[in-house]
Amino acid sequence: MKSLRRVFLRRLLNALVTLMLVLILNFYLFRVMPGDPVRLLIPQDPSIGPEFIERQREAFGLGKPLLEQFFIYLWNTAHLDFGLSYYYRTPVWDYIWDSLQWTLILVGTSSVLMIVIGMTMGIISAWRRGGLFDTGSLAFSLFFYAMPTFWFAMMLIVIFSQQIPIFPAGGQLSIGETLWPMDGDKMLDLLEHLILPATSLTIGSIAAFSLIMRGSLIDVMTEEYITTARAKGLSEYKVLKDHAVPNAMLPMVTLIAMDLAFVVGGAFQTEQVFSYKGIGWATIQATYKRDYPVLQAAFLLIAVTVIIANLIADLLLVKLDPRVRMD
Amino acid sequence: MTPISTTVADILHLSGPTREKLALARRRGANMWRLYRASRVGMLGLILLFVVLGMAVFADFVTPYGPFEPTGQPHETPPSPKNWLGTDLSGWDIYSRVIYGARVSLMIGLVATAVSMGLGTLVGLMSGYWGGWRDEVLMRITDVFLVIPWLVLMIVLAYVLPGGPSVTKVVFVIGITGWSSTARIVRAQVFSLKERAFVERARAIGSGDLHIVRKHIFPNVFPLIFANAILTIALSILSESTLSYVNLGPRSYEVVTWGNILNDAVQAHAMTLGYYWWIVVPGLCIVLVVLAFTFIGFALDEIFNPRLRKR
Repeated sequence: MKSLRRVFLRRLLNALVTLMLVLILNFYLFRVMPGDPVRLLIPQDPSIGPEFIERQREAFGLGKPLLEQFFIYLWNTAHLDFGLSYYYRTPVWDYIWDSLQWTLILVGTSSVLMIVIGMTMGIISAWRRGGLFDTGSLAFSLFFYAMPTFWFAMMLIVIFSQQIPIFPAGGQLSIGETLWPMDGDKMLDLLEHLILPATSLTIGSIAAFSLIMRGSLIDVMTEEYITTARAKGLSEYKVLKDHAVPNAMLPMVTLIAMDLAFVVGGAFQTEQVFSYKGIGWATIQATYKRDYPVLQAAFLLIAVTVIIANLIADLLLVKLDPRVRMD
Repeated sequence: MTPISTTVADILHLSGPTREKLALARRRGANMWRLYRASRVGMLGLILLFVVLGMAVFADFVTPYGPFEPTGQPHETPPSPKNWLGTDLSGWDIYSRVIYGARVSLMIGLVATAVSMGLGTLVGLMSGYWGGWRDEVLMRITDVFLVIPWLVLMIVLAYVLPGGPSVTKVVFVIGITGWSSTARIVRAQVFSLKERAFVERARAIGSGDLHIVRKHIFPNVFPLIFANAILTIALSILSESTLSYVNLGPRSYEVVTWGNILNDAVQAHAMTLGYYWWIVVPGLCIVLVVLAFTFIGFALDEIFNPRLRKR
C-alpha cells in the first residue's frame, strides 16, 4: 500500500495534466481547427468599428506565431481576461461571472434535492427489495431518465404555467429585479421562479443516484459484518443506519462528482427552456449570436469547475476508503 | 433446432471445424436467449424496440404523406382527419414526419454509438494491453473527454467544426464526445484479463500481441461492451434530440429526426400557441425508444455480468 501523501500528489498531478490539456484543447478548438482564426475571433458584423477589431486582434495576438499566441492566451486566461463579448461589447468575464451566480443557485438547489431524494429512494428500495416501492421507484427513475431534459422542462411549462398558471414560465426573477439587495419578498419571487427549473433538473437525475445507492446497499447487505450485526440482535433499522448505509455511501462520493458533468448538461437545457439566464443560457445564446469569446470562456470555466470537483471527490475518497490506495 | 443448422451447414458445404463452430455459436445463442427471455424488463424493451423498428420500416405504408410532401394545407393547422397532428411551418404533415423520424433518429443513434464504442474500445485495448507510459498518455486524454460535460463539449464541437449542420457532423460530434467511459471500462477489463493463465499460455507459445488481443482479449471484453453499447444507443438518441433542440442538429428541410421536429415546434412557438400535440408526440417517441434500449441494456447487463445475476 502506498502512502496517503503519494496518492494525493499523484491525483493532484493528474488533475493538473488534465487542466493543461483542457487549456490546449480550448485554444486549439477556437484558433486552429476552423482554419481561419480571423474569421472566428473577428466578428463579421459590419456595425463593429475598426477600433474594436484592432483591440481584439491586439488582445488575442493574432498574426503572431502560434506558439506566441498560445502564451498570450495562457497569460490572459490567468488574468481572467477573455476579451470583449461581440454582442454585449463588455468584458466577457463580467458577463460570465453574472451568469454564474444564477447557475450556482439552480445547480446547487437541484444537486441537494437529487442527492437527498435519490439516496432515500435507493435506501428504501434496497431495504424492501422487490417490493412495491422498489418496482415503483425503478419505473419512475427510468421513465424520467429516458426523457430529454429540455422536453420535460417544456412539459412542465405547459402543465404548470399554461394549463394551471401557478408558476412563471421563465426568467429567474420578476422583470426588472436584480438579485441584490435581497429581501423576503424577493426571496419568494426567486423561489417561485426556481421551482419549475429545479424540478426539471432534479427529476431526470434522480435515477443515477437511486440506482447506484440501491446497488451499493444491496452489495453491502450481503457482507458478513451485516450478518454479525443482525446476530448481535440489533434492530433492522440500526443495522441499516449504523452498519450498511455508511459503507454503501462510498460509491456515492465519486458519483456526485462524476454526475456534476451530467447535471451541467441538464442545467444547460433547463436554462435554455426557461430563459433562465445562467451560464448554459449564455453559452447557447453565444452560439446563436456567434459570440466566440463568450463560448470559449464558458467552455473553459465549466471544464475547470468539473475538474476541481472531481479532484476534491477523488481526494475525499482516498481519505475515506483505504482500499482505493492499493491501485 | 438441430436439423435446421445441419441443413445450413450442408448447403454451404462447410468443413468439420467450421461446422463445429457454427453449432457452438448456435448453442450459445440459444442459451443466451433462454436467459434473456426470463427477464421481464428485457422482453418489454424488445417489444418497444419492435414498435419503433416497425415505424421505421413500414413508414411508407402507414403515413398519408411523405416527410417533405406538400399537403396542400395552410401552414400550422391544428389536427384534422386529414392531418392527424396538423401541419408544420412548411405545411408538411406532422404525423407523417414523426413516423419517418424514426428512421434517421435510429440511424444516428446506431452509427454514433458504433463510432464512440469503436474509438473507446480501441483506446481501452491499447491502453490496457500496453500499460506504462502509453497507457498514461492515453488515459490523460481520456480524462479530458470524461471531465468536460457532454452537452458543453457537443455544443462547442458542433459549432466550431467546419461545415454546416449535417447528419454526419452530428454523428461525429456525438461519437467523439461519448467514447471516454467505454475506454475506461475496457481498459480496466483488459488489465485483469492480461494476467490470466490463458493469455500467459498464448504468449508462452509465441503468439504476437495483435493475435492475443484479437483472439483472447477482445472476445472476453466484448460482452461487456455489448451491453454498454445498447445503453449508449439510448444516450446517443437523446444527444441528437438535444443538439437539434439548440439548433445545432441536421436541418429539418434536409432530413427529419424527432429532435428537429421538436426544434421546428419551438421555432414556430408551438408552446405559446397551444399546439401541444406538436411537442408531446415526438417527445414521447424519444422516450419510447430510449426506454426500449435502456431496458434491453439492463437485461443484457444482468446476463453478462455474473456478479449482478447472483444477487
